Amino acid sequence: MTAVHQAVAGAGPYDAVSQQARAWRRLLTESGYAGADHAGQVDPGARDGFRPLEQLEPQAQDLIVIRYSAWSPGLGRLLERPQRKLLVYHNITPPGYLWNHSPGLAVQCAVGRMQLPAFARAARVTTADSEFNAGELRHAGADGVRVVPVLFDRDRLGPRGRGPVGDGPLVLVVGRLVPNKRHDRVFRAFAAYQRECAPDARLLCVGTALNPRYAALMQQLADASGAHHVQLAGGMAQDELNAAYDDADVLLTLSEHEGFCVPLLEAFHFGVPVVAAPAGAVPGVAGHAALYTDGDPAVTAELIDMAVRDSELREELARRGRERLGQFAYERTADSVREVVQEALA
Amino acid sequence: MTRPEDAQERARRAAEQKRAEGRYSETAGADALDATILGGRAPAELLSEWAVIEIEPDIVYSTRRGGAPLTALKRLMLRLMRQHLVELEARQTRFNLGLLASFQELERRVEALERGEQPRDGEE
Repeated sequence: MTAVHQAVAGAGPYDAVSQQARAWRRLLTESGYAGADHAGQVDPGARDGFRPLEQLEPQAQDLIVIRYSAWSPGLGRLLERPQRKLLVYHNITPPGYLWNHSPGLAVQCAVGRMQLPAFARAARVTTADSEFNAGELRHAGADGVRVVPVLFDRDRLGPRGRGPVGDGPLVLVVGRLVPNKRHDRVFRAFAAYQRECAPDARLLCVGTALNPRYAALMQQLADASGAHHVQLAGGMAQDELNAAYDDADVLLTLSEHEGFCVPLLEAFHFGVPVVAAPAGAVPGVAGHAALYTDGDPAVTAELIDMAVRDSELREELARRGRERLGQFAYERTADSVREVVQEALA
Repeated sequence: MTRPEDAQERARRAAEQKRAEGRYSETAGADALDATILGGRAPAELLSEWAVIEIEPDIVYSTRRGGAPLTALKRLMLRLMRQHLVELEARQTRFNLGLLASFQELERRVEALERGEQPRDGEE
């Protein structure tokens, strides 16, 4: 029996790459493929689904799916293996964001970007989860890059909720606390919104921090912004996150570098309007279903206010969001996944 | 209703108007992280700063849920190993600074050659 194994640099409980590996595994299993998922570094919270990369012992006929978002020595060694390979490029954060905050990760990203052409050459089929990422892959010399979006399983999100309830408007930010997500700009824009438009507004930031020091820095910046009712909640289990979306009035993302941005689709699912910076893959994923800021905190604040108060605008954004979800329908992407796997195995 | 396509322009006008009234005064200036993000090559001053290695105890921690006792244990080990670590830090720093000085000298000589001048040895 042909097995399809997956390899990632690092696996965690909540990050998008690990979530995608899990989603592909469910689909691969349903499609009759054996195999297991391996990671160079396995967070204690991800040990249920991932094994150490050193334990990957593929048979000659097997396929190795390399999910590339950072370099690790183990991933580099996979290139020497004779098995067929399928590269899924999730984007690598430019190391300039990380040198000052996490030198070790910056090294992984710098080497990862340098090694991207080698990974592209070694793969029988190269894919990227967004047109933005495909562009980077082509720039690295890959031919015939296929865009296979994130496998977005709406079932795990549950039904749409009742919509915002309770106190002041809730501005939700979902994404790891890492420099490229620019939470500093979030705090500034939110403080301006709270000061000028909605004194009772609340900000909830969901996502694990790069490291404890960066978490402390973000808390410091949040405090210094003058905003109150700001909560840096850390990572959340899916049911907690669903409840946060249910309660949210707006999803805000001011990220400066995004390879895909799954929270956009989650917000569309829950009918939550999106205010975003048009960076990286964001315009490609959200299309015309989001309000885009030019980066000025005052403009962002005004857009949040519009998204909260203009009910017709909210409805229109929700309608467009549902339309965008059609582009990322599970079965449609699942077909693409099966196709590229079959192509790589052919 | 505001169309999503028109929202940014409308928001910009509203922001301008409020600024003219003296509001949004705290939204000017650079963002906090700007200075920490490198667009290209690290400048020489930053490289000199990075060259000096010093392991700070607060970067040693456990990622496990309820890992506080493990964090304390790791930091205790760091303290117990201090003599050894200080020697390692010193040796690595010595190498880093030596390499950096060589690169800076090389850069100076290349710049002199590019200007059509003869570089002089050991010039500061």
